[in-house]
Formats: sequence, C-alpha cells, structure tokens
Amino acid sequence: MVELVPTLLRQELARLAEDDSRLDGRGRWEGREFTLETNCLYNAEGSAKVVMGGTVVYAGVKFELRTPWPDRPTQGSLMCGAELRPVAGRKYEPGPPSPQSIELGRVVDRGIRESGCIDMESLCIVPGEKVWGVMIDIHVLSDRGNIFDACGLAAIAALRTAIVPAERFDVGDDHKLQINGTPIMASFTRVGGRFVLDASEEEELGGDERIHITLGDEGHLHSLQKGLRGVFTPAEFAEIFEVAQTRCVELRKIVAKEEEN
Amino acid sequence: MGGYGDVQLLNDDGSRLDGRKLDEMRPVTIEAGILPAAEGSAMVTHGLNVAVAAVYGPMEAHPRKIQRQDRAVIDVRYNMAPFSTSDRIRPGFNRRSREISKVTAEALESVVLVERYPRSKIRVEIEILAAEAGTRCVGITAASVALADAGIPMRDMIVGVASGKIEDTVVLDLDKAEDNYGQADLPVGILPNTGEIAFLQMDGDLSLEEYNLAMEYNFKAAKEIHEIMVDALRRRYDGGEA
Repeated sequence: MVELVPTLLRQELARLAEDDSRLDGRGRWEGREFTLETNCLYNAEGSAKVVMGGTVVYAGVKFELRTPWPDRPTQGSLMCGAELRPVAGRKYEPGPPSPQSIELGRVVDRGIRESGCIDMESLCIVPGEKVWGVMIDIHVLSDRGNIFDACGLAAIAALRTAIVPAERFDVGDDHKLQINGTPIMASFTRVGGRFVLDASEEEELGGDERIHITLGDEGHLHSLQKGLRGVFTPAEFAEIFEVAQTRCVELRKIVAKEEEN
Repeated sequence: MGGYGDVQLLNDDGSRLDGRKLDEMRPVTIEAGILPAAEGSAMVTHGLNVAVAAVYGPMEAHPRKIQRQDRAVIDVRYNMAPFSTSDRIRPGFNRRSREISKVTAEALESVVLVERYPRSKIRVEIEILAAEAGTRCVGITAASVALADAGIPMRDMIVGVASGKIEDTVVLDLDKAEDNYGQADLPVGILPNTGEIAFLQMDGDLSLEEYNLAMEYNFKAAKEIHEIMVDALRRRYDGGEA
C-alpha cells in the first residue's frame, strides 16, 4: 500500500525541529516508555516481549539438531528472522517476506552474530556430525514506529533466557544457552531535517533516512545500517554515535535487570 | 486421531491427568485493545495457548475480485508463530492454516453485520504465539473480542470451545496430550446469546450420545468464556471493574 506523506505533517515536523521539540513532546534523544518481559511463551525455548510506545514485538528462540557446514565441522549455526505480518499494521500485506522484513531480520542478525555473544563452538555436539542450530524468530504485532530497536532488544533478551532442550533431542541434559554479551541496537531517524532517537510512527511517516547502530558491551560497533532515501554527514554520525553509547548502556542494564528477576 | 490406545489419559479414580474434572475447562484470560496499531485487538490465553487477534477496517476491498456489491468480506489470516510449537514451524501459510482461516472467516461473516459495509473488507489477523491444543477455538474467541473492540457491529460474539473423547470418555477442552492421544475432537464456535453454532469441525469417532454430551459441555463452557469476553470489553470501555 502506498503511504501518502502528508505535506502538512512534514511542515509541522520541520517547524517543531526548529524549536527543538517533537510531536509527542519528547526531547530529541529521549526514548518512549517501554517494557521488557522475558520467558513469556510456552513452547519457545527462550522468549521476550517488548512494548516500546505503541510498538509490540515478540521474539522466540527454537533449537534444532543439524549437520554442520563442511568447512566448519565444529560450529553450530545461528539464524535470525523477522516477520512483518499483516497483523502489525494497516500498511502490511500478506505475501512472501517483504524487502523491509528481510532487512529488519538481517540487521538484527548481524548485530547479534558479529558481537560474538554466541560461541558457535559451544553449539557443537559431535564434530562433523551434529550441532545445534539456534533460530530466533521475531514477530512484530504492532508497528507504531522504531520496530528495529524493539526487535533487536526482544531478540537478545530472548536469547539470554534460552534453555537448550538437549533432553528432548536425547543429547544430554537441558542447559542454559551460553551467551557472552548483550549487543544493543539504537536507531535514529531524520525528522524535520535533524536526527532523533526512537522515532514514532508519525515521525517515520513524515521523516527521511534512518541509521541503526548496534553496540557491544565494550561499546564497539557490531552492525551499522542506513536505510531509506537520504544522506548524512560524518559530523551527524559522530553526534548520534555518542547518543547511541548512552542509550545502549541504559538498555543493557534493563536487560540484565529483567534477567535477575 | 485415536491411534495410540495405550497412552493413559485418565487417572485410576477417573480424573484427568492435569487434575481437571471431565467437564472442566482450562483457565481463560482475555484482554482487549492490546495492539495500538490495530483498530481492534485482543489477547486470549487459554491454558498455555496464547492467541492475539487484530482487526483492520472496514477498508476498500482489494484485489477487486474479492469485492461483494452487497456486503463486506471478512479476510481472516490464522497463523502460527514459528516458535509457537515444540518443533519450529517454517514461516508462511500451509494447508492447515489456510483451511482454518477459511472456515473462521465464514463463521465471522455469519455474525458480523456485513451488509452495512458493501464493497469493503474487514481484515482479521489471528496470530498464535503459543500452542497447546485448541488454537483454532482460542483464535475465534480472540477474533470476536477484537471485532467488538474495533466497534464492528455484530449479532453476537462467537465463542470458540472444544470437547473430545479420551479413553472412551467425553471430556471438555482437550489439552495437548489428550488431543494427541485421544479419540475425538469437536471444536465449535457458539453464539452464546442465540444458542446458534457458526463454526463446526470434528474428527475422530463419536456416537450420537457422545456428540450430544460433548455439545452440552461446549455450550456450558461457551457461557463461561462469554462472561470473560464481556468482562474484558467492559474493563476496556467502562474504564473500571465490570
């Protein structure tokens, strides 16, 4: 479905930008209220629900036994996919995975994979024969803006609570999936000419390009992505990178706190 | 169904493995209006099942060929999340979900006042997040509450319930083991106010007496679930206790 971008909305967003304010009154680097809940789904080996403003996202982790790739006989595998099903909003339609949902899944996948938080060798059961395949499926139920951050957060939170169901597959005792790190994504959207954190649906509708930054525990970059039409300057990146660092530390604390409970 | 006779599903004292009585259903909770992007939505938990439904529309019906000049069409998609079952499900439609979507749509079209919205479409999205037997019924219940939450006029809400047969005994609301190893399953969609039936499927082996008892259980359960549905809508719209 074609979204008609109302000229009035763009004008309003530009006007607000001049006063350094936003449609919902938030500060430029202020995120919406959000909640994180883990282990909320029966049948998933790890699960998480994230509500960020009006965006609702679930992630579930499943395991399967598979034969390793011939060139990596001692390594398991990781797959992360996102589904933007029609349930998520008026603009989503049924059909094969859209380019947007593929981008979403792959950006989240890269952040987790490249952070090295999963030791692929630890997923090996019998070298050359049997390894674990870890599958993270992300289900977007309600898109009211910034699904990337919600999906990234749900995925890592679900992984961090996952139990490897070894007993069910007759390969030992159930145990916690070993995870060394909490990669977190922070996303910025150009709205009214300048970048803001955690854009709402309206801001995305009347905004331009977005930038996604995934940072690991040490503050290192693990995944970057620029999406949609638009360009940015190195100075703009330097500014949002600084914000991303603070944001990721905050969210990481919330994931850790939820894990303790 | 019914191929595994040696699995014990009833305790020696006649009670069920999870301690329920023969005509006792699993606990049900319902919340309306949980998805901000949708015009109407609901989440239903029924035992360990979790179903979410979202309603969009009425909107222009497209592709054009599905349009009806005299009424709205209801476009239902029943989908199980990849992580909703013990073995992961490959994303996408399969024959089972297509069939359930079709009969669910036809059930909902029999209660929604579709004549009010000619040439339009009402989208109903049912997502099963966790499955423990009986998901189609939980989906129907969730869809009904979501339609009501969206303010779409209906003659009645449909309550999804199922009874079945295990060890030659009729029981209400099969759980996973009872569904896997039982002898029959009778899922229905009941209009609690009129006593009519809008959805019916069955597989297995039932005598007429057993069918009648299973239906009796279903109607009893539908009444209980209907109260929970109404309560969820009251909580949403009265802004307080029912």
